[in-house]
Amino acid sequence: MKKLILYAVVGGIAFIIGYFVNYQFFSDRAPVQPINFSHKIHAGDNQIPCQYCHIYAERSRVSGVPNVKRCMGCHQIIKTDSPEIQKVASYWDKKEPIPWVKVYNLPDHVYFPHKRHVRAGLDCKNCHGDVASMARIEKVSSLQMGWCLSCHSKKEVKNGSDCWTCHK
Amino acid sequence: MSGFLERIAGKLKSYREPGYYTKLDHKWTMVIDLDKCNGCEACVVACYAENNLPVVGKEDCAKSRAFSWLRIERYVEGEYPDVKVKFIPVMCQQCMKAPCETGCPVYATYHNQDGLNVQVYNRCVGTFTCATYCTYDVRRFNWFTYKWPKPLEAQLNPDVSVREMGVMEKCTFCIQRIRSAKDKAKDEGKPVKDGDIKPACSQSCPTGAIYFGDLQDPESIVAKLAKSPRRYRLLEELNADPSVIYLKRVMGDGTTSHE
Repeated sequence: MKKLILYAVVGGIAFIIGYFVNYQFFSDRAPVQPINFSHKIHAGDNQIPCQYCHIYAERSRVSGVPNVKRCMGCHQIIKTDSPEIQKVASYWDKKEPIPWVKVYNLPDHVYFPHKRHVRAGLDCKNCHGDVASMARIEKVSSLQMGWCLSCHSKKEVKNGSDCWTCHK
Repeated sequence: MSGFLERIAGKLKSYREPGYYTKLDHKWTMVIDLDKCNGCEACVVACYAENNLPVVGKEDCAKSRAFSWLRIERYVEGEYPDVKVKFIPVMCQQCMKAPCETGCPVYATYHNQDGLNVQVYNRCVGTFTCATYCTYDVRRFNWFTYKWPKPLEAQLNPDVSVREMGVMEKCTFCIQRIRSAKDKAKDEGKPVKDGDIKPACSQSCPTGAIYFGDLQDPESIVAKLAKSPRRYRLLEELNADPSVIYLKRVMGDGTTSHE
């Protein structure tokens, strides 16, 4: 009996540790990026506005991942001796895009324009959380239909609950 | 318990009434001038390209699994030297009192605020009821998950989802173009103008036989054409109130066809 309890406790602890390791390092929630880019340093400490890099958010359906040129615009001068920046520079020399892992991934049948939401005066924080305090970007909202609709009905969006407003 | 069920049943019933949307935002209408139609099928090809329709091949066509949302019906009258050929492009008529909507057990097809009869692919379970109820035979069913041969998948329209096996679909009046036109109009702070929206069939028609617009706007070209004495609608006696208006073809001897 004692042995059984011991097994249960050890198994439980192992499960919890495993769960957290999985949640922290192996889930899609906060995947490991090719470069250890910190939004905390850029958006938090240095107060760079979101749309300085994600330039398409206001005028397109997608917000846009910044190209390497935009990174190198600053990092040709700033902190060139850091190993992470040298990784960016190597992509720049190879003329290759950085293979960032997409975190906020919407299914193919959803029509989501960033433009509409930014122009409606919605802050990036509403969906993307407090990015300025994240060392590695992580997904904070479920991106499920109920989550979308809760906001649409709260803000009384015109035709906000019609299927073909968001689906395609 | 029974009161609760009755309340739900009553609510669902009220949704299903034909006049559920008494005041529409728009009433998208298509006017097809059969006098101009020469049956070239450019509209059919454009529809295939725009809406990610798979080409099923000869054998499946023979099993009536053809996939064209828009088809050209041909009527040939008379013998060779004195022959009359008539064409009617038939797509989903976007009926205001649609028979298909009454049949769906999961509400995958419904009427939206633009007066469109729309199909929700994700809700569809493929019971085929709507296709059975449809008077115009325009609903198409995905019998398989169709694949595009290698370089062709690059030409798929990103604004239209690629449907999978077991889903019913039909002409949407190019709802993605309606949406982008509305989006553009909203950016400019103006209502959608007449002529802003052109469905793929209308855009590709070499003779300009297909007009598209808002019937509620009295200045629009469709509202003017809808008053034409040549006007008729397909199977009007069935009272489904279709949104596609045809203009009769005037034959050489002054009589009109399609009567």
